[in-house]
Amino acid sequence: MGRIETKTQKKSPFGTGANRQNFPNSLIFKIFMQVGSYGPEVAIHPFMFISDLHIHSSFSDGKLAIPEIVDLYGKKGFGAIAITDHLCETNTLFGKAAVYMNRTLTPAVFPIYMEILKSEAKRAWEQYQMVVLPGFELTKSPELNHRSARLLGLGISQFLSANANIVELCRSIRAQGGVAIATETLWAERAEIASEVDAWEAAAGRKLSEEILESGLPKVASSGLHSAKHLTSWKTAFFCEKNPQAILKAIRDQELRLFFYDEEKANDLRNVVDVSRLGIRIGTDLVRNGAISGSFPLQIQDQAHGLKVSTAKTGSRFDSKAFERRGQRLKRKSGELLSVSVPRV
Amino acid sequence: MDNGLRENLESFFQLAYPEFEILFSVADHRDPACALVDSLIKQYPHVDARLMVGAVDVGPNPKVNNMMNSYNDAKYDHILISDSNVRVNPDYLTKLVPDLDDDTGVVTGVVLGVAPQGFGGRLEQSFVNTFYARWMILGSAAGFPTVIGKSMFFRREVAKRFGGIANLSRYLAEDYMAGQAMLHLGLKVKHMTQPIPQIIGKHSFKDFWQRHVRWGRMRKMTAPLALFFEPLNGPIVSGLIGAYAFHKAFGISPLSFMAAHVAVWFLCDLLIMAAMKAEIDYTTPFFWLLREISSIPHWAHILAGNTVSWRGSRLKLEAGGVLAEPSVQRTA
Repeated sequence: MGRIETKTQKKSPFGTGANRQNFPNSLIFKIFMQVGSYGPEVAIHPFMFISDLHIHSSFSDGKLAIPEIVDLYGKKGFGAIAITDHLCETNTLFGKAAVYMNRTLTPAVFPIYMEILKSEAKRAWEQYQMVVLPGFELTKSPELNHRSARLLGLGISQFLSANANIVELCRSIRAQGGVAIATETLWAERAEIASEVDAWEAAAGRKLSEEILESGLPKVASSGLHSAKHLTSWKTAFFCEKNPQAILKAIRDQELRLFFYDEEKANDLRNVVDVSRLGIRIGTDLVRNGAISGSFPLQIQDQAHGLKVSTAKTGSRFDSKAFERRGQRLKRKSGELLSVSVPRV
Repeated sequence: MDNGLRENLESFFQLAYPEFEILFSVADHRDPACALVDSLIKQYPHVDARLMVGAVDVGPNPKVNNMMNSYNDAKYDHILISDSNVRVNPDYLTKLVPDLDDDTGVVTGVVLGVAPQGFGGRLEQSFVNTFYARWMILGSAAGFPTVIGKSMFFRREVAKRFGGIANLSRYLAEDYMAGQAMLHLGLKVKHMTQPIPQIIGKHSFKDFWQRHVRWGRMRKMTAPLALFFEPLNGPIVSGLIGAYAFHKAFGISPLSFMAAHVAVWFLCDLLIMAAMKAEIDYTTPFFWLLREISSIPHWAHILAGNTVSWRGSRLKLEAGGVLAEPSVQRTA
């Protein structure tokens, strides 16, 4: 079992006085718990719940049927999930192949997809008090990852043809009342579409995108789950009421945090690595002092804010090299990197 | 009217099961089947049976429209949809019901073609008892939802989770889509251990040809890759490929290879027919070979278009087996 320890020295890690004013109200924790050996303070927000906003089912290339996904997440105590099956463009050879191989949503199957989502959303709420958001992942050039362009649409109700350009697709999703979330594959087009999307997928699976993290753009994190083994991954935690509209609004307003969720420690927030503690604040793009570096197990000391975070988790599957690269770059940039030690176990 | 309609419908009155109701769906009161159903209801007053006349227009699929009144009015949660050319044994429900457990979405079965009449009827029987049975068994083993509308047994509460049968009315192959929806619900598509007898009756060669152009085009739009490779699931094309390969590799005479290949294929089909207790006589090899040879131009005809004729309507199919509603031309 891993553990996270936090020690508050001189100041609260969430700031004091004027500094604290920078945080949204919902982030000023209302309940503090003493968590024994895990450390002095772990904050639990009364409306906090974990979500996964990027999940594939058997309607595209996922291994699980939607009811199986609902049960998987519901039993783990998630508060919300979004089913986002691929909806591929059909004007390319590989897009057509996806249609022929039943690896994409099509106009033919979309009504059944929506009906199943509707009935499963009802069951998920009754059985697990979990919200199920309808969604899709508009997918261009599905055959080649490096050329692929993928846009998530959450809270949608109508089928869209993925053949349109990305800007039009973003607008169509938003016109339906949904949120458009750009994946890392669209990063090269950020100048053009930044104003058209509601958020960027800063983390997918176990990988964090450094550039998106540092960009100042709104973000979410999710798994891109295709089978149950993908459950251990980055997730988004929300601080809002548990209903679809509140969740969509929280994405737009960035009332959320990015979390690394470990299946083996399911639903125990004491064991969930909280990115905000590692430097990313909710509702902001501030990477505080570049304090993300190293791989698990790691120790981070934020002398300026009196924060010390250390973990003793073993067997981490973080992208440690990416973390280290980022840390080094920030060190060069600011010259004021905190003391970061990465003890190998 | 279907061949042997009275006997087919009467077989449902003779089902040995403690509690059930029979709802006959007829689109138009002028349908001669109405009088026949009325007389059967009078003949079996102890059987809970009703005639439901009139279609509800929920989409372009006329069969679904025809069933809607009965579906909405059915007393019980367990629904068996059966075509009028199916003739069941008295123990049919007794064997069928236990198969529908909590993990199963729909129970269907392999069709056994019986009582053919005419040249087209014999070809139809050969098709149903060999090629079709093969596809059903192979497709089921490969995880495809090989459901046939001739006999679909499911729970209405489960179907409600994908919008009920009304949500299938946009498709020509409502049975295949029902199976696919069940798989998406994480439920199984199960085949009965005994085949479902279908009375083939009288068919001309044209009837046979058009019927399979329709179903072939349905397969084309729902599973185009499978249709593209369909000729390989027959002895002619696979035999030609094998003959060429064996001639090149081992110098075996193509004619000898082809003869042996076709003979072995026929024996395998004969085993399937025997397992299903199909009618076999000395003409069986002739109609089998004719059906297999005709399957090549038949396949080409299927590939050449996207429209089908069904129940007096000319219907256009789109990707996914969706019936293109604006193009429906009712021919009355």
